Amino acid sequence: MDDWLVAIIKVVGIWVWVLLIAVVMTWVERRGAGLIQDRPGPNRAGPWGLFQPLADGIKLFTKEEIIPTKAQKFLYIIGPALFSLPAFSAYAVVPFGDKIILGGKEIILQVSDVNIGFLYILAIGSMAVYGVILGGWGSTNKYSILGGLRSTAQMVSYEVALGLALLAVVFVYGTFSLRDMSLAQQGTFLGFLPNWGIFKQPLGFILFIVAAYAEANRVPFDLPEAESEIVSGYHTEYGSMRLGLYLFGEYVNLVTISGVIVALYFGSWHLPYIDLGAYLGPISWGIVSFCIFFLKVSFFLWLFVWVRWTLPRFRYDQVMGLGWRGLIPLALFNIFITALFIQLTV
Amino acid sequence: MIDMDLYFWVFASMSVLAGLFTIAAKDALPSAMGLLTVFIALASLYLHLHAPLIAIFQVAIYAGAILILVVFVIMLLMTPGERMGVIQANASYRGLGVLLGLCLIGLIAVGTKGVSDIVSMKALPQGFGNPSIFGDLFFSDFLLHFEVVSVLLLVALIGGIYLCKKRL
Repeated sequence: MDDWLVAIIKVVGIWVWVLLIAVVMTWVERRGAGLIQDRPGPNRAGPWGLFQPLADGIKLFTKEEIIPTKAQKFLYIIGPALFSLPAFSAYAVVPFGDKIILGGKEIILQVSDVNIGFLYILAIGSMAVYGVILGGWGSTNKYSILGGLRSTAQMVSYEVALGLALLAVVFVYGTFSLRDMSLAQQGTFLGFLPNWGIFKQPLGFILFIVAAYAEANRVPFDLPEAESEIVSGYHTEYGSMRLGLYLFGEYVNLVTISGVIVALYFGSWHLPYIDLGAYLGPISWGIVSFCIFFLKVSFFLWLFVWVRWTLPRFRYDQVMGLGWRGLIPLALFNIFITALFIQLTV
Repeated sequence: MIDMDLYFWVFASMSVLAGLFTIAAKDALPSAMGLLTVFIALASLYLHLHAPLIAIFQVAIYAGAILILVVFVIMLLMTPGERMGVIQANASYRGLGVLLGLCLIGLIAVGTKGVSDIVSMKALPQGFGNPSIFGDLFFSDFLLHFEVVSVLLLVALIGGIYLCKKRL
C-alpha cells in the first residue's frame, strides 16, 4: 500500500512539476525574446507579466472551437491529443534527484528506474510525430500537409543521429538506465575535470543537442511550422485549446530533453568537485539534489530560448543535408572513437 | 488449455481488431493508424511476456521508423480524402493478397510445431529480457544469425542506393 502511495505521489508530483515548468517556460520564452530584442515583452498581467500564461490559458480555453468543414474530423480532433500524450509521459524514466529517505524507506527520485531507460524516451519521442502528421493531414490544407510532410522527413532523419549519439553514451556507461548513468558521474575525471558525460563525450553531446533541437521542432529546425513559407505548418487550421495543446506539448518536450541532457552529459544532481550528499542529511540531500538537477535543467531551458531568438531558420535542404551528411557520419565516427578508447583502456 | 489472462485478451483482441481495420479502411492514413495500433498492442503483449526490450524495439523501430516512412509515402503520393477503392478493387492485388495470406498461414502452421515448448511452463532464466543478457546472446550463441542479418541489411542498403542513383 505504501509503495503504491509513493508511486502515485511521484507520478502526479513530477507530472504537475513538469507542466508547471512548461507553463512558466511560455512566459520565459516571450520575456526572453523581449530581453534579446531589447523590448519589454509581455509585462501587463501581474508582476513582470508573470500571469501572462494564466491569461493565455483562459483565452485558449474559452475561445470558440472551429473545425474546418473540409477537415477529416476524427483525425483533426485526435491530432493534438496524440501529440501531447507522448510529451506528457516521456519524463517517466528521467530522474529528478538522487534519493530521499523518509521513515526509514529509501525512495529514489525517479518515477520508474527501468533498465531500458532512454530507449523508452526514444520510442515515446518517435510517437509524437504522429500527432503532427494527423493534425496536418486531417486539416485538409496544403500548408498543413506540407508541414506534416516536413515533420516526418525531419524526425526520421534526426532520430538516426540522436540514437547513434546516445549509443556512444551507452558504450561509456555500460547501461541503459538513466539513474545508473547519473550515479556513475560522481567524482572527477582525469584528476581535474568533473566526472560528467560531456567531458567523455564532447562530440556526442554536440550531436545530441543538435538532433534534439531538430526532434523538438525548435528554431533553427522549426521547418514544419516555418511561418514565412507555409503559414504555420501543421497547426495552420488549429485554434483554441487544440492549438494550445500543440504549443504546450512543445514546451513539455523541452523540459524532458533538458532533463535528459542534464542526466546524460551534465552530471545529473552532482556538483563538480564536492559531494554534498556526504554532508547533508538524507532528507535535505533529497531536496538539494532535486534543486541542483532543476537548476541545471533551467539553464538548458534558457539555452533553448536563447538559441531561438539568436539563430535564423535553416533552408529545408540544408536541414536534410546537415542530418544525413553531417550528423550521421560524425555520430558513426564518434561511436568508432568511443569503442576504440574503451577497447584500449578497459 | 493454457490459462490466458485478461491482459492478453484485451491486447490480443485490440491487435486483431486494429488489423482488421487496417485492411478494411478506405482512407490510407487511418489505415496506417490502424497498423500503428497493432504495433502498440503487440508491444504491450511483449511487455506482458517479460520482454521489455523487444517491446521497445517494436515501438521504436516499427512504429517509430518504418511506419513513419510508410506514412511519408502516403503523404507524398495521395491527397486527403482520396479513397483507396481503385487499388483495393484491383483483381491482381487481391489475388496476390490471398496468396501471401496463405503463405503466412502456412508459416504459422509450421511455427505451431514449437507450441509443445510453450504449453509446458518453465521458469524464466535469471535476468530474462535484460538488455545486457540480450547483447551477450547476440555475440555468443547467435553470432552467425546476427552477422547474416547485418549482411542482408547491407545488401538491401546497397540495392536501395543503386536503384536511386541514376549515374553511379
